[in-house]
Amino acid sequence: MVASLRLPSLTSLLFPATTRYPAALRRTVCLRNRPASGFASGTAASTDAHRLRSKQAVTPRSQDFNAWYLDVIASAELADHGPVRGTMVIRPYGYAIWEAIQEYLNVKFKETGHSNMYFPQKEASHVEGFSPELALVTVGGGSELEEKLVVRPTSETIVNHMFTQWIHSYRDLPLMINQWVNVTRWEMRTKPFIRTLEFLWQEGHTAHATPEEAEKEAKQMIEIYTRFAFEQTAIPVIGGRKSKLETFAGADKTYTIEAMMGDRKALQAGTSHNLGQNFSRAFGTQFQDENGERQHVWQTSWAVSTRFVGGIIMTHGDDTGLMLPPKIAPIQVVIVPIWKKETEKTGVLSAASSVKEVLQAAGVRAKLDDTSERTAGWKFNFWEMKGVPIRIEIGPRDVSSNCVVVSRRDIPGKAGKVFGISMEPSTLVAYVKEKLDEIQSSLLEKAVSFRDSNIVDVNSYEELKVAISSGKWARGPWSASDSDEQRVKEETGATIRCFPFEQTQGIKTCLMTGNRAEEVAIFAKSY
Amino acid sequence: MAGPSGKKEKVDKAGPSGGGKKKKDVKKETGLGLSVKKDENFGEWYSEVCKHEMIEYYDISGCYILRPWSMAIWEIMQTFFDAEIKKMKVKNCYFPLFVSPGVLEKEKDHIEGFAPEVAWVTKSGKSDLEVPIAIRPTSETVMYPYYSKWIRGHRDLPLKLNQWCNVVRWEFSNPTPFIRSREFLWQEGHTAFATKEEADEEVLQILELYRRIYEEYLAVPVVKGMKSENEKFAGGLYTTSVEAFIPNTGRGVQGATSHCLGQNFAKMFEIRYEDEEGKREMVWQNSWAYSTRTLGVMIMTHGDDKGLILPPKVASVQVVVIPVPYKDANTQGIFDACTATVSALSEAGIRAEEDLRDNYSPGWKYSNWEMKGVPLRIEIGPRDLENDQVRTVRRDNGVKEDIPRGSLVEHVKELLEKIQQNMYEVARQKREACVQEIRTWDEFISALNQKKLILAPWCDEEEVERDVKARTKGETGAAKTLCSPFEQPELPEGTLCFASGKPAKKWTYWGRSY
Repeated sequence: MVASLRLPSLTSLLFPATTRYPAALRRTVCLRNRPASGFASGTAASTDAHRLRSKQAVTPRSQDFNAWYLDVIASAELADHGPVRGTMVIRPYGYAIWEAIQEYLNVKFKETGHSNMYFPQKEASHVEGFSPELALVTVGGGSELEEKLVVRPTSETIVNHMFTQWIHSYRDLPLMINQWVNVTRWEMRTKPFIRTLEFLWQEGHTAHATPEEAEKEAKQMIEIYTRFAFEQTAIPVIGGRKSKLETFAGADKTYTIEAMMGDRKALQAGTSHNLGQNFSRAFGTQFQDENGERQHVWQTSWAVSTRFVGGIIMTHGDDTGLMLPPKIAPIQVVIVPIWKKETEKTGVLSAASSVKEVLQAAGVRAKLDDTSERTAGWKFNFWEMKGVPIRIEIGPRDVSSNCVVVSRRDIPGKAGKVFGISMEPSTLVAYVKEKLDEIQSSLLEKAVSFRDSNIVDVNSYEELKVAISSGKWARGPWSASDSDEQRVKEETGATIRCFPFEQTQGIKTCLMTGNRAEEVAIFAKSY
Repeated sequence: MAGPSGKKEKVDKAGPSGGGKKKKDVKKETGLGLSVKKDENFGEWYSEVCKHEMIEYYDISGCYILRPWSMAIWEIMQTFFDAEIKKMKVKNCYFPLFVSPGVLEKEKDHIEGFAPEVAWVTKSGKSDLEVPIAIRPTSETVMYPYYSKWIRGHRDLPLKLNQWCNVVRWEFSNPTPFIRSREFLWQEGHTAFATKEEADEEVLQILELYRRIYEEYLAVPVVKGMKSENEKFAGGLYTTSVEAFIPNTGRGVQGATSHCLGQNFAKMFEIRYEDEEGKREMVWQNSWAYSTRTLGVMIMTHGDDKGLILPPKVASVQVVVIPVPYKDANTQGIFDACTATVSALSEAGIRAEEDLRDNYSPGWKYSNWEMKGVPLRIEIGPRDLENDQVRTVRRDNGVKEDIPRGSLVEHVKELLEKIQQNMYEVARQKREACVQEIRTWDEFISALNQKKLILAPWCDEEEVERDVKARTKGETGAAKTLCSPFEQPELPEGTLCFASGKPAKKWTYWGRSY
């Protein structure tokens, strides 16, 4: 019964084996040490001005996107490479971003009627086939196991196994659960946050009495992901439906949110599958309906992973390093006290720490960097590189005038710096909160205009090729065959990211065949 | 007014939803109720109670599914503990599940302690891995190479990290849901300090949080104390723990542990820092953990012959509201009153739910929610409606009360607090009744056979504990030390060790354990 569904194939959609970034290989073990010693990126010959100035800069994004990404992760202390190839250690600063994602989504899941639970990580391997992506436990407690165990790559099988026992009547439906767990996929080419052997995610699984309800649920969850992406992470994802080729094996429909990274490659940031009755038929998950008849349940599953953290880094970061949207930034405001003489120190520090307390009391995540080992300049660079949205500077003159200087991370240099903001609590708090909101919306605006200026409307395969080869996304009417889609992939490296929910009106003709098309599709190279 | 609890009643045929042809086949009995009594067959009782929506057995022995009913309790404890450790400036992070054999085997004592339980990944798909990879049984050896890398100077200290994750220990001894499973969820904190004093202080701060989880949240009394040399964490300096006791089986259960690792791991993993004078020093480390075992201890402590009893503070549903419609009664009015009651309670921050299902009788619902352990039940029937009151029934002692709807929220809040306190008090008394102070070997054996929690004067020698284990070895497992309580009764000069006859150094709790 189980045999008809091959577990391994489930992974193909979540991490479609499309083009990988070749440079990723070169640098898989390039996550370097710590800021003080390891900031310089691989290229020793670089004469980058930042590096000369501060000895702590990352490879500029404009110079080498991939090197920049790895540098940012190392320098901003987001992650480190793990002890086993392709694994990673998520450090507190990176983990705090994941916690912000969890906090928001967990509340939304519960508001929409889902309960959390936990399924075991090991599954019996009687499931057909051993994809190379599956990790197998064969030895435990000092002896060979009778049955090999699979370390979960996703949980559809065990979930259905249990749903079959828990669901009897229509009164047991809908059954809506979620779990926050680690999953394992023995990937060969890895990249921190984007593709690792082990990663963290949430996986929601639901069972419904009707196809309409399942469809509504699948759409609702992609809508929650979309709102999260826009409102919390300032990533203007494009929601849509996957093509048949790119649909999750075992799903009737896969909905996705696709994000454009700073290098204009697409990142699939979350998916929601309408599984139809495929799994319930394979597992015999049935319920008795109101008329006493046995029916197979209709199911969905949906997931967001630590990959999203990679998406945040690659959407907003710049040459200087990370840039975090205020709503998910672990530190929203860093306060840097500045003094020269010892006599000034006490006054400055006490003003700085009262500013911190005022902000914290108002619910702002503020940090005071009061170490005396580093210069103020070093600290400015460091916290900019860590992507903290707002910096507050306090010097002796500010103390005497009861004012602070406020700098925005998203507007470099003097333009983003405002002097003479009153330290008076209510004024300061109001000002900071307003700025945080401004930064949040400005990051989104910037990302939207970047996205829109890099999507080209195409009407022929030639135009598509031109768009893709210039690194852009191509959007055009599509009703061609799977093999045509495959051909585009082979010839251009681009895949259909989605048929966006937002469609233009009017008659369309397929860019490939010239036949009538109902929808436009978006093509792009992706991670 | 509510009918007598436990009896099955028919729901009014003219039911509330007016659902046309819908069949109103009220379920009579669907295997509700436990088939064994807690005092008669504790093991079977426990497994039945767990199966009632806390856990689902899975086809791999020793692996269990945590269902929403238990996961919600875990989440409540998590919320409490996570906020407390963040106040202590501990930060969360995530280290990989996989350990390479090289680092795993770095600390000799440590690996000797864990090696027999490690699960190994040897294949990806059909191909063999070059080197087998271990799945973490705990993360000391995964984390400490990074501590060595991240810690350079005294300004990098203290380093305080924690992670919430799953761990795997492939044990072959009897698996028991929550108490001993091959995979479980836990938090593990790992901290590094410049001085032993700081490490010592933190060990106790964390232990106090563990005490609070048990006593304030789970209403389970525990003893704080020091583990013996035999029982301490493999490779550590000393281990403190909170120990609970299950009177029914006469077994102690280690509730949570807070270890001072000393400098042993620092030496093995070369975790050094430069102090203010520029000297290279080794750090002092702690690690501490509590797991989903907490849930098992709670179930064993409070459950009764009707099923679970959940302490209000951790119950995902604190109050269940059940309509009790009678023939010719104003059914809609009763249902409306139930809904209004739930929303009033919810607004006041009380986790309340109504059970308006029309295919179950009130009696069936009473038993069902009793089985699930909801601390307080509210029944609303025609007479309650008339008198503008509701009836409350406590799960812990069955006490019924009619309370006016006008002061519903205050009353319920007060009742939940009382239940929480009473559950703790009852559990404490039961445990106290089991404590037995002994002085001699004969007294020891007799107390052991009576399932007592034994407090004995001991010479604190490893050899003697091993000897006691050997001499008490039997089908139900050997007796060993549970802990030496921090609160020591007076030990008069000249008191001798119950087992060796040598001068006793301290009072220590002994018993069989989980």
